[in-house]
Amino acid sequence: MFRSGWQPALLLAPALLLLALLTLYPIAYSFVLAFTDAEYQSDALTFVGWANFNTLLNDWFFQQATWNTVRFTVSASVVQVGLGLLLALLFARPFPRRQWLLPLFIYPMMLSTLVCASIWKAWMHFDFGWLNNLFDAVGLSRQPWLSDPALALWSIVLVDTWQWTPMAFLILLAGLQGIPQDIEEAATLEGATPWQQFWHIRLPLLRPYLFLALLLRSIDTFKLFDKVYVLTGGGPAFATETLSLMAYKQGFKFFNLGAASAIAVIMLVIALVLSLAYAWQVMRRPT
Amino acid sequence: MFTKTKMATALLGLAVSVAGVAQAADLVIAGRDDLMGRALEQSVAAYQAEHPDMDIELLKLPYGSLYEKLVIGMREGDSSFDLVMIDDTWATEFMSQGWLAELNEDRVSQDFIPALTDISRYPVGQGPLYSLPVVGNVAMFAYRSDLMDEPETWSDVIAQGKQLHTADRSGVVFRGTQGNPIVTGFLPMLWAYGGNIVDGDGAVNFDSPETVAAIRDFVSLREIAPRGIEVYNSGEVRDAIQQNKAAMAIEVWPSWVPTMDDPELSQVVNQVEIIPPPGEVNASTPMLGVWQMGVSANAENAAAAEDFLAYFTSANNQRDLTLSLGLPPTRSSVYSDAEVVDTYRWYPNQLNALRQGAPRPRINAWQELESIMGDYLQLALLGRITPEQAAQQAHQRMAAAL
Repeated sequence: MFRSGWQPALLLAPALLLLALLTLYPIAYSFVLAFTDAEYQSDALTFVGWANFNTLLNDWFFQQATWNTVRFTVSASVVQVGLGLLLALLFARPFPRRQWLLPLFIYPMMLSTLVCASIWKAWMHFDFGWLNNLFDAVGLSRQPWLSDPALALWSIVLVDTWQWTPMAFLILLAGLQGIPQDIEEAATLEGATPWQQFWHIRLPLLRPYLFLALLLRSIDTFKLFDKVYVLTGGGPAFATETLSLMAYKQGFKFFNLGAASAIAVIMLVIALVLSLAYAWQVMRRPT
Repeated sequence: MFTKTKMATALLGLAVSVAGVAQAADLVIAGRDDLMGRALEQSVAAYQAEHPDMDIELLKLPYGSLYEKLVIGMREGDSSFDLVMIDDTWATEFMSQGWLAELNEDRVSQDFIPALTDISRYPVGQGPLYSLPVVGNVAMFAYRSDLMDEPETWSDVIAQGKQLHTADRSGVVFRGTQGNPIVTGFLPMLWAYGGNIVDGDGAVNFDSPETVAAIRDFVSLREIAPRGIEVYNSGEVRDAIQQNKAAMAIEVWPSWVPTMDDPELSQVVNQVEIIPPPGEVNASTPMLGVWQMGVSANAENAAAAEDFLAYFTSANNQRDLTLSLGLPPTRSSVYSDAEVVDTYRWYPNQLNALRQGAPRPRINAWQELESIMGDYLQLALLGRITPEQAAQQAHQRMAAAL
């Protein structure tokens, strides 16, 4: 045991200092930059108040990027958690060769995102892509997967779902395997149907896992960058531009650090709201 | 026993020796990946064969990463890189900020194509020399000589493209991807129509009748382009022209097409002519996309960097790189070498294009202006806004950015 009060603080100090240097300082500095017209080359900072935020909020491109990000985050997270739940329910029951199939289902998650996006870009090529060849073979018309502004974002949702559904699947499978068997056995003895068991026992007990999967996928999809960068570059006609891509361009292509920081601050606030919503759901006392 | 003091000394010694190894390179080069990376790698190996005691570290990076790394490093006064590769459009920023060291004029051969060494100077054509041109890239135009006559104007391109457009083969192909790709395809057209991005004083001058006419005809190319042109990039353009899927490519860079006449990779051997882009109101104005190399102002091994640069750009080395990899040279003598011309029959045209070529505007904020123009061009290409709106709105945003 510690002999005095300062020892725990001393032992924690290096880790806290590192955290402050690597996380808190950049965040705090981003907040400062967001209210300035930072001149990167000369290091000059001019305070401009809310001007960066005003410009962004009135900018059609920023509005479009925000709308794309929200649509992508909600749709991809919900679809991935929904599909993950179905797969988890399937794999929670023993069936032959289950141990062989499991690695196959989680394999996309092990691929590098850039590799994954490059593969799908080839598959989605209008003339030579495997997907359109498949559509041809079954008598469906070829689709402009990445070049139609109305379809491009959903094509990226498809790619992200292919790669990251396994993550939701693994979280929910762990949750299902943690449900005590005696509860389900008692329900069976009481004559509960499989649907009733799912709705009244498994789903309520899975709730923290579902929220966790949703939170992790929401935070990840909210940051969407690399897939868009490879697949569409934010186009066509800004239909797939996301906040992360916009912040990257402002920050590292144009070195407009004020605008890039303002976008980062807005993203941070949205991510914080998402996290607090999750914390509130998980921590609230059962009624 | 191994005491604590001895252990600490041993660890310190190990740390010092590791640190020593980490800083041991006699020359550190930062350059592009892909074809240019292979050219650098081959040249480093050949140079090291002549200088066996030299340790050269070569960092090969994709376009975006190279720019970020260099700008951040140079701005911080970092001395990690001695010799750096820069795109033509970055040159003004790097030279005006004093990030590159002046080169020794005595070592510069008159053999370099003058238009290319002009943009290695700051101010252009007059100031001291800060870099040497290492890749003679210039935007060319490709057409199927077995299907059509050489188009002399952009109107001719559109007219012939409509006639040749079929379900199996498009009339034209170009890079339609938002940002830099769509802009580089459009610029030779803009100049041919008499439009400009900035005027002689550096002020934005995009919103003009000439620009609107150029955008209108550029947008009309979509009707005779492959489906999905909005996300086409260099790979798709090369494949379309080499696989007999397009009759014309409005933008072809020499480094994309060294395999045009390779029967194993191309279905159109000897059927494609590569020429400077057509004119319209103005004569043909090919766009330069020259890659340059300069010595960092903070270089620890400046003399070695300059010596390697002289080797890398020597006529013999350029000839080797051209013949083995298809890297476009920057010296006139290599373009007139019989074996080189025999391998790449379009090189005489390419030399003419390099001599007539014009660089993109020499402004620090070019990356941002290009991105803005690319956004509005694509909105116009997809019919979301009219050519007039594209010219007007892009002009306003570019003016604000400047």
